[in-house]
Amino acid sequence: MQHTATISRMKAAGAPPRLSAFAQWADRHFKWLLVAPAVLLILALSIYPLLFSMVVSFINYDFQVPGHAFVGVKNYERVVFDPVARWSLVLTACLSGLSVAIEFVLGLLVALTMVRSFPGRGVIMSILIVPLFISPVIVGQAWTLLLQRPFGPTNYILTQLLGQEVTIGWMTESPWLYVSLIIADVWQWTPFMFVILLAGLTAISPNLYEAAELDSVNAWQAFWAITVPHLGPMMLLALTFRLLDAIRMFDTIFIMTGGGPGTQTYTASYYLYTVGFTQFHLSQATAGSWLFLIFTALVVMLLVRRLLKAEPV
Amino acid sequence: MNDHDKRDFQAGLEGEVDAFMRGETTRRTFITRFGQMTGMLAASGPILAMMTDWALAQQKLELADAASPLGQAQAAAMKASMEGPADGSAFRAVQAAKTHSGVTLNMTYEAGLQALDPRNFSGPMWEQLTGMKSNVVELSNPDQYSKAVAEHIAGSGAYDVLDISPAWTPSLADGGVIAPLDDYIAKYMNPADLADYHPLYKALPTYKGKIWGFFDDGDMFALYFRKDIFEDPKMMEAYQGKFNAKLGPPKTWEEYAQIAQFITDQMAPKVYGAGHFRKAGSPGNQFDFLQQFRANGGKLFGEDMKAGLASDAGVKTLTNMLAANKASIPGNNELDAVSLWAAFLTGKVAMIYSWPPTGRMAANYSQSATAINFIPQSQIAGKVGYAVVPGNPEHATGYNKALSADSPNPEAAYLFMQWACSPPVSLARCMLPYALRDPYRISHFKSELYGALFPSAKEYLANLNNSANVGLLDPIMPGAQDYFLSIDRMCTAVWAGADPKASLGTAATEWNETTDRLGVDSQKAFFTEFLKLPGATADNTVEKLGMAVTL
Repeated sequence: MQHTATISRMKAAGAPPRLSAFAQWADRHFKWLLVAPAVLLILALSIYPLLFSMVVSFINYDFQVPGHAFVGVKNYERVVFDPVARWSLVLTACLSGLSVAIEFVLGLLVALTMVRSFPGRGVIMSILIVPLFISPVIVGQAWTLLLQRPFGPTNYILTQLLGQEVTIGWMTESPWLYVSLIIADVWQWTPFMFVILLAGLTAISPNLYEAAELDSVNAWQAFWAITVPHLGPMMLLALTFRLLDAIRMFDTIFIMTGGGPGTQTYTASYYLYTVGFTQFHLSQATAGSWLFLIFTALVVMLLVRRLLKAEPV
Repeated sequence: MNDHDKRDFQAGLEGEVDAFMRGETTRRTFITRFGQMTGMLAASGPILAMMTDWALAQQKLELADAASPLGQAQAAAMKASMEGPADGSAFRAVQAAKTHSGVTLNMTYEAGLQALDPRNFSGPMWEQLTGMKSNVVELSNPDQYSKAVAEHIAGSGAYDVLDISPAWTPSLADGGVIAPLDDYIAKYMNPADLADYHPLYKALPTYKGKIWGFFDDGDMFALYFRKDIFEDPKMMEAYQGKFNAKLGPPKTWEEYAQIAQFITDQMAPKVYGAGHFRKAGSPGNQFDFLQQFRANGGKLFGEDMKAGLASDAGVKTLTNMLAANKASIPGNNELDAVSLWAAFLTGKVAMIYSWPPTGRMAANYSQSATAINFIPQSQIAGKVGYAVVPGNPEHATGYNKALSADSPNPEAAYLFMQWACSPPVSLARCMLPYALRDPYRISHFKSELYGALFPSAKEYLANLNNSANVGLLDPIMPGAQDYFLSIDRMCTAVWAGADPKASLGTAATEWNETTDRLGVDSQKAFFTEFLKLPGATADNTVEKLGMAVTL
């Protein structure tokens, strides 16, 4: 109240309040002061490391080779001509594409099931989204415990179910090791798809379905004519977000297969980790990261462009 | 201010006054609160740091029951540190260190069990003796190298004492990351305590004629087998009948695979002949390949520093390893070191070769500590025999304590190292049930107290000593991580069905690329230095050099 009284007195006097030189300066530049911390933070934590990593990719920054001499594009050459790097990129595309596709289909099915109200729906939904809150490392460890021979119960259960002995090396035999990695990823991330798609489904007006029903449209036709077009943007959003995350697949591989056997489960992230933090060739890993960033950026551009274009019917 | 400006100002002011009257945030309150928040943020740093320090603070000195062998060893370490003998390295280190009272030493340790020793035992005891505090920095194994180098490049002086793999010594010494200890040793150490190292380990920190640390962990592979199975009359008779030979610990790798297959054929699925840690990324592949390859006469590098992997010895090694895999527990290729221990301790496997904690776990000694209770209780206690691994066992990495060249308190750091690695203190540390430090001094192998830890402890110690007599060292040279990684990839590819010859060729190519990258001449110089060490090849083991230790 004291402030109000002062201001009222000043207003009555017809004189503006007198501000100190600093206060006047602060008043003029207040907007810049507000954004300055965020800008400084971004510069310090994002732009500087990015520029520094660019520099590192053109010099020798290797914990085994002394000195930081300029080496031109040699680090990039090493990555480009490394068959393991090329394989890791292919595997990343295949694994992430396949995982996300399965997650999308399953997520959509679950969302379509859960969009209608039924007793226990809340409890089931809560249970369904639990995997989202678990660290991927723990997910990897849990699936390792389930699948790893001789202690994991999976082969035993399959043997009982199938009536013949199952001796699958889930984490050492191709193609089962890929199946294992996809299962772990799908288990964790299908709820993500489900949550986003469910949000999209609930936003579709029920009037449309009622009108369709009056026109004797069957469920399958309604799905294609109403659900898919209206859910399109959400589908694209879910796929974009999930794909961007999936191509960074690392944690479950680190725990479940260790990149092996050989280099069969090296994804791009795992390759970069190995080069940078097992072999200590930091500049090569940095060059690889930039190349990987370019590939990722291309995918992102494509998806975001589609996302921006996509509009509900 | 003209009328227009004044009107604008007053309108703004009125808006603020109205907002203030409504209880909304005004610019003034915003600035006040922003200032308060910034102040709190500034204050939160030190408060958080204090809380972190408190959370990670050293534990109180944990001592075992005074009547137990460990309790007696701990009391002996304390006595040697406080009362002498006056020329003992522990006593001299403590006396000299008292002038550094109040200093805090930052020391790196491998995260987990390894770090419990300085947290619970050696750190608090050192503080009690000298007034010096210790801050244990827990790092993953690769980070123990990379962080040390990164901090050196930054010149931060973040670390005083570094726990490093002996394989890193040349890189870290040449890179100026670690400092030589010769002057300090001459000033403070009793030479007899250096002579007390087993010859295989004594020379490990030596590089280019200088001493770059103290060896501190005897990671010798040894064979652990089920005596009850090997001495079962029915099994012995069956083996004799089938192979016209006595069933016993194998002497060659062919015999090893043969015995493993025999036991599997006789006893599976109850018990399998062998088990190995073959999972990708688990170091079992590299260690096993290196020990068998060199025992089979393989040369790591030729005169021109070209990789010698793609050779008859390489093919023979992989063939033997495949035969052993076939004879092993299902899922053998998916096991890491801990799951292999679980398989052995629960009685599913008749023989394994692994690090020394295997013996302590098999006797249920380690599991007396809650920190290590994730390892199952041993169901085979009292049934385990010890033998030297066929051919030449691998000394699988180990640890050196090294002095950081950037340490702000180098003398204080050195004195801690000397004290921690001195005979009485290192013995007590190696005897800690949760510790992963393994015996490495002759006095450890001869220790009556260690020998009383569990019923077969003396036999266990004798076997570790005998293994060290014929043991082989991991290659100690730059690029070791790259060379090891290539072996691991090669082995796991072969386990998954790749052609051994082709895989050896791929690994050899990778080795050559690594050598080229680091410089052929430079690598040759490092390798030549390595070859001077006892245990560098199967032809110059401690035993073959006439330096074998007899207990």
